[in-house]
Amino acid sequence: MADVERLFRTYNAALVRYLTRRLGDRDWAEEVAQETFVRALRQTSIQNERAWLFAVATNLVRDEARKDMRRRKHLALLAEEERDEVVEPEETTLERAQEAAMARKAVDGLAERDRLALLMREEGLDYSEIAEALQLSPGSVGTTLSRARRRLVESYEALQKSQEEREKNAAS
Amino acid sequence: MQHPDEGTIHSWLDGALSADEAANVEAHVKECPQCGAAVAEARGFIAGASRILTALDNAPRGVIPAAAPKKDIDPMMWRVAATVLVVAAGTLVVVRNHGSNEQPMSVAADPVTLVEKRASLPERVPAAIRPAQIVADAFTPKTVAVNAPTIALTRKTVARDSISGIPVRENNAAAKAGVMMRAGQSVAGSGNAEARAPAASTVVPAHVAGGLVALDAAGESGLLKVVGTPRRIGAKVTLYEVAPGDTVTLTEAMPISLNEVVVTSAAAAPMAAQATGKSAVSQSKAQADAGPITTATDTQRKAPVLSAPAASAPAPTSQPGIENTLRAISWTDPATGRTLTLTGRIPKARLQEIKIRVERERATAAAGKKNP
Repeated sequence: MADVERLFRTYNAALVRYLTRRLGDRDWAEEVAQETFVRALRQTSIQNERAWLFAVATNLVRDEARKDMRRRKHLALLAEEERDEVVEPEETTLERAQEAAMARKAVDGLAERDRLALLMREEGLDYSEIAEALQLSPGSVGTTLSRARRRLVESYEALQKSQEEREKNAAS
Repeated sequence: MQHPDEGTIHSWLDGALSADEAANVEAHVKECPQCGAAVAEARGFIAGASRILTALDNAPRGVIPAAAPKKDIDPMMWRVAATVLVVAAGTLVVVRNHGSNEQPMSVAADPVTLVEKRASLPERVPAAIRPAQIVADAFTPKTVAVNAPTIALTRKTVARDSISGIPVRENNAAAKAGVMMRAGQSVAGSGNAEARAPAASTVVPAHVAGGLVALDAAGESGLLKVVGTPRRIGAKVTLYEVAPGDTVTLTEAMPISLNEVVVTSAAAAPMAAQATGKSAVSQSKAQADAGPITTATDTQRKAPVLSAPAASAPAPTSQPGIENTLRAISWTDPATGRTLTLTGRIPKARLQEIKIRVERERATAAAGKKNP
């Protein structure tokens, strides 16, 4: 695959965003994205580039997770702590930090397949690409996405509600 | 048509249905209020999910804690440095006191006078005038050494605030600069010419005086720490470390050796003339600076040279310590006639002070060569 530079330019941003959302850590996301492009280098031909890249990235995350579950848990814990401490790289209001923490929690609460399908869809993958990357039947992608979206929004709203209640209690 | 399920509605909204399927769903939704509501809800979920996911984009970097971000200067370092400075300066005073006084090599010379001065200062001088007095004393090489510890102590408390540029004490650099000028004038006017030899260009801001003592005390030898001598054609370059991570560069133009190497003898003369011409530009100014400074180490000196008044005093900088702008001073070495350039990201006053030390070391080295 000689055209890795083009692949990188075309897909890196989306892939890193997808992985960041998936992993909750931008550095880790960038690492996995890079490894994905390294794998692409070794391929002689790729039929559907986008589906292939997202599938490989997803598998890398999964493999790593499987290989080193403890590390991942530890990282997740650290990430959680960091979120709780509202240590954000850019100037972030408390409100935005809270939003991010709730979003993380809501996303983490989704089933893995729902989460990945949703994250891929957000990066512009079409149904056939999602199906290919996640090895789903094309007909089930709509159902998967609708379920993922509903659950995400509902659980986020629930978190928001309980947060508001906490604030109300704290104020009174 | 049956009511489309939620998955189909999402597929339709995502544009993932075939044209026929899409047309069917569209037709049904128009007719069916229940499905119309479901579509509205699905649109809400799609938009809401998107928005929620966007909130994840501000993810932290490096969940594994990397090395702590470097602070510019740890305040604790200032404290430690100040403590070392004070102790070293004190040691120096004692050592000098017991040691030979015959040829003081630095302005930190006659501690006894200084101690007296320091003790008597508070009674004699109202607090407001004191900084001026201190700087005025700095004109007198004799007294600098004792001032230095005083300043070193103050610096300890000032250091942090002065980094942010807030003038806290009177011997903050900014305050000093102004005071220095006045002090220079008042000394000149008072006719109290005792050891006031150096022209105004040798005015050493109080914090520099402190630094000078620190440098003196840092190595018992009093030598500047050479950290590198990068090669450069036509010049001898020496890097001195004046503080941790803080270096200055001394460039010594060597036109003659260059001519010898590169140019034939026929061309050598004009080339040499050209080279000298270049250095001559800075020579007049440099000599005004360099001459008195080199001799200022002699405490016995009573030369009434004040031809260059405060106007040629080193440009005062509001921040002591490391700076971002690269400053440079050039002068001509009276012994070799070569142009020396000292550059560093430190206040000009400190450069001046390092220049004094460089000159002194060069003089010592030259003397050493003559009388091995």
